[in-house]
Amino acid sequence: MSLLEVNNLKITYQTAEEDVHAVNDVSFSIGEQDNYGLVGESGCGKSTIAKTILGLLDDNGEVEAGSVRFKDRDLVDLSEKEWQDVRWEEIAYIPQSAMDSLDPVMTVGSQIRQAIRKHRDDSKSKADERVAEVFEIVGLDPARTSDYPHEFSGGMRQRVTIAMALALDPDLIIADEPTTGLDVIVQDKIINKLLEIQDEVDSSMLLITHDVGVVAETCDEVSVLYGGKVMEQGATYDVFKHPTNPYTMGLQNSFPEVDEFDKQAISIPGSLPELTEEPTGCVFRNRCPFSTEECADGHPPLIANGGQMSACYHHDEAEDMREAATDAETWGIDVAEDRETSGDTGDVILETTDLEKWFKQTQSIMDSFRGAEPDYVKAVNGVDLTVREGEILGVAGESGCGKSTLGEVIAALQPRTGGDIQIDGTSVDDLLAESTKKFRSQVQFIFQDPFDSLNPRQRVKDAVAEPLKIQGHDKETIDRRVRETISDVGLNPPEKYLDRRPAQLSGGERQRVAIAQALVLEPKLLICDEPASMLDVSLKANILNILREMADKRDIGIVYISHDLASLTQIANRLAVMYLGEVIEIGKTREVVRNSKHPYAASLLAASPKTDPSIDRQRVLLPGEPPNPVNLPEGCNFAPRCPKASEECRKADPDRSAFKDGNHEAACYLPVEDVEDELLSSYARQERPEIQSGEEETIEQLGEEA
Amino acid sequence: MSFRRFLIKRTAIAALLTLIAVSIIFATLRMLPADPFSGLVASGALTPEQVAEVRAMYGLDEPIYVQYVKYIQNLFTFNFGVSLTQQRPVSEIITPALLNTLVLLLPALVVTAIISSLAGMYAGWNRGSWFEQSSIVATTVFRSVPNFVTGIFLLIIFSYGLGWLPAFGMRSPLANPSGYLDTYLSWNFLKHYTLPFTVTVLYYSGDFLMLARNSVVERMGSEFLMLHRAKGLSEMEQLGRAGRNSLLPLVTYFALRTGMLFQGVVTLEVVFAWPGIGRALVQAILNQDYPTVQAAVFIMAVAVIVMNLVADVAYAKLDPTVDAGDV
Repeated sequence: MSLLEVNNLKITYQTAEEDVHAVNDVSFSIGEQDNYGLVGESGCGKSTIAKTILGLLDDNGEVEAGSVRFKDRDLVDLSEKEWQDVRWEEIAYIPQSAMDSLDPVMTVGSQIRQAIRKHRDDSKSKADERVAEVFEIVGLDPARTSDYPHEFSGGMRQRVTIAMALALDPDLIIADEPTTGLDVIVQDKIINKLLEIQDEVDSSMLLITHDVGVVAETCDEVSVLYGGKVMEQGATYDVFKHPTNPYTMGLQNSFPEVDEFDKQAISIPGSLPELTEEPTGCVFRNRCPFSTEECADGHPPLIANGGQMSACYHHDEAEDMREAATDAETWGIDVAEDRETSGDTGDVILETTDLEKWFKQTQSIMDSFRGAEPDYVKAVNGVDLTVREGEILGVAGESGCGKSTLGEVIAALQPRTGGDIQIDGTSVDDLLAESTKKFRSQVQFIFQDPFDSLNPRQRVKDAVAEPLKIQGHDKETIDRRVRETISDVGLNPPEKYLDRRPAQLSGGERQRVAIAQALVLEPKLLICDEPASMLDVSLKANILNILREMADKRDIGIVYISHDLASLTQIANRLAVMYLGEVIEIGKTREVVRNSKHPYAASLLAASPKTDPSIDRQRVLLPGEPPNPVNLPEGCNFAPRCPKASEECRKADPDRSAFKDGNHEAACYLPVEDVEDELLSSYARQERPEIQSGEEETIEQLGEEA
Repeated sequence: MSFRRFLIKRTAIAALLTLIAVSIIFATLRMLPADPFSGLVASGALTPEQVAEVRAMYGLDEPIYVQYVKYIQNLFTFNFGVSLTQQRPVSEIITPALLNTLVLLLPALVVTAIISSLAGMYAGWNRGSWFEQSSIVATTVFRSVPNFVTGIFLLIIFSYGLGWLPAFGMRSPLANPSGYLDTYLSWNFLKHYTLPFTVTVLYYSGDFLMLARNSVVERMGSEFLMLHRAKGLSEMEQLGRAGRNSLLPLVTYFALRTGMLFQGVVTLEVVFAWPGIGRALVQAILNQDYPTVQAAVFIMAVAVIVMNLVADVAYAKLDPTVDAGDV
């Protein structure tokens, strides 16, 4: 018997203008002790379904039809009072952003205790016992239950919310993007923890995510959603091993594997349907490369196909479509020639030597009066980089490693503390002294968020023309170059876009306008800070392709900063990995990915989840978290977390050339030979004790020192 | 930084601020073009020699820095001197006036802070409800209409119209109470108290209501409230958590308002003929009664500075994310 049955669920949101049909006729069921995945891009209705199961739908949302049966009881018609008993007692919830989900003025222990005592008549001390118990289950130190949320790091906060979800032994736990926003190594540890718990307790889990890799590694069964419709449904293994629906294929193929260089990531052309009325044809037909006229005749029913069900009129051609779907050209992407051969790079365009950016910590009045040496956060600490014409240098690292600061310092958006930056052989200082305008025409920056970085009142043509106006070009040149650039970034025909405002553009189109704005001055160096991270996965590859093409065609040097390793390996000629303000490994992308030498770089690269369910991956359970950048350890920064660290590593900080093989350099005395043996299995061995001591210790100890 | 160190630091800063404030008062008063006794010469009541004598008696012939040092010494020992116009110690003039003001304003402020804040939280939680809209309109009216107008309206209705309550003063002219207890705990006093108290409560209600409403509205839709709801907390329990998270601006505003109470509300005191500090101060300024003005301003400055300190401490205590060192 199944625990939860969702039958023909239809949900609409009422907005001022039109109703939005967010969920259209979705059915699925979750068995006892099952892990079920709902996967899809933003706007596919997955979070709406989750909220409906918890009775947390926003006031303007309405369940129009269908039922949600939980243990043979229909949840849809429950009163608020009845809901309060079901929530947490029977269905618990792990929220998306652990950073904001905990009440900031309540200790974490009392928040969990509150959940327990709301539903049980337990005494305070009995509830506290349970709190300590669940803390231990998720690998947190029970002594820290009386700490406030802000005293925990992001990953640890997510553990707190997981502990909270376990507190009452619910029958079902709904996890809404539980790892989105976490760094990839932390994500791997949280997933590991979720699976471990799954083995121990007998709750079922409904996992909601956009990340095919996470679902493929954790769930038994899955529904792939698009436009409020189930596109494909079945056992996770079948669905992602042999997808039969074009959307599943597209979604899966838009997640490139970190180490697959010969496979081009695809992106699905077009944008999400508006859903202002119930779909009359297949919801995916506008973007589907295999669509035919038949597809307009109503949304196809879910039909069994192999082990799974798929909503596609062409299900009998699944085999051929699967083959074709791996080819980027099918999805309307012009495939650039193999970049290894076309990757001839020209003269050095950017060179930094010993670049430093230190942020001064605030001091007490007395300390500054005494003239005490202030503490510094060494965000960028002695970075040497070169970028050549036509080359893309990828900069990878976890949040807080200083990669964004590095980009801003190179673009002179922030002053540097030390070292030198040379653009095309001239020092940045000289360039700026001569003329800021000239410097800006040579170095341009693309920001992360296309929603914030465009002026909402400016038309596209004015936005793109603005840099040219500042540089004082005449009207004709401006006109010509604006058109050229807009067409270059793939907004064709340009006339269609020139008079639009940002609000009339999709996310992917906005980011292209932002790129056009940067390119219109024909800079020599372009710095991109996570340019694709706000976009849905199916749109990412487009942006990457444009940048790649610009680098090749216009001979621009590009610094591409991102935490997303897969997109970095897709685009970058060379890859630099940063840890705590230092570049710890750099070299040709293939070299660094296939043959990582620094233990941190190797761990980072091994932590991405795989979208192929048949791969059994050893998880990266790297102990601890990056130390506080104010009090860096003596010797190698990574030594405290490194299973290979020796006395030498703890005493002296290795130079970047400690390991050197041609252009491949790594700051490590004991370069990694075999990732599995030397690192991953040793992390796994020490994982148990680490939970109790390691992680907490680093944090606390550092907290005190600070 | 430990909480004790934080407290010591803040107190030192507060003391320094007080010193600066009283120095400014001293300088400002001395910069006035005339002095309190020049009028006596002009009116022909005294000869210049006699005036010089009187000035010497009050120490006004001494060099300015000597006056300053003595002034500071006296202030910090709470010795405010003798009034120039009333020939009584300043403390005798100020203490009862200040007490009258605080007895009126402090309870009113506490009452309005609690009631209006709770109402504001409820209004914010039920956004778009009739309660929210009407409460905002009503309190905004009371806030924007000058309080003496509201006062006069109430006087017209309840004193002159219905004749329920007395129109002015703190007690009936015939009452002659002895001691504070007798003064403030009598039926007679309560009748005089009701109207000015009501006006004050209404006047300040808008501030607290809007502050509370706005911060609850800001909290609504936040992820942690969603999690509280998912845990099965009832509507009121959720509102409680939202309210707890909205306390900071309210407590800060309450502390700052309390600091300003020591100035009294002149218009209110005039309308109701309430013998408070506000009226006393206006009178002293008009008479150029240096010692009284200095003492009154000193008390106000200290009150504001001390309540600022209280706000800071409350901040650090209420919000665990605020490290005492950051404040």
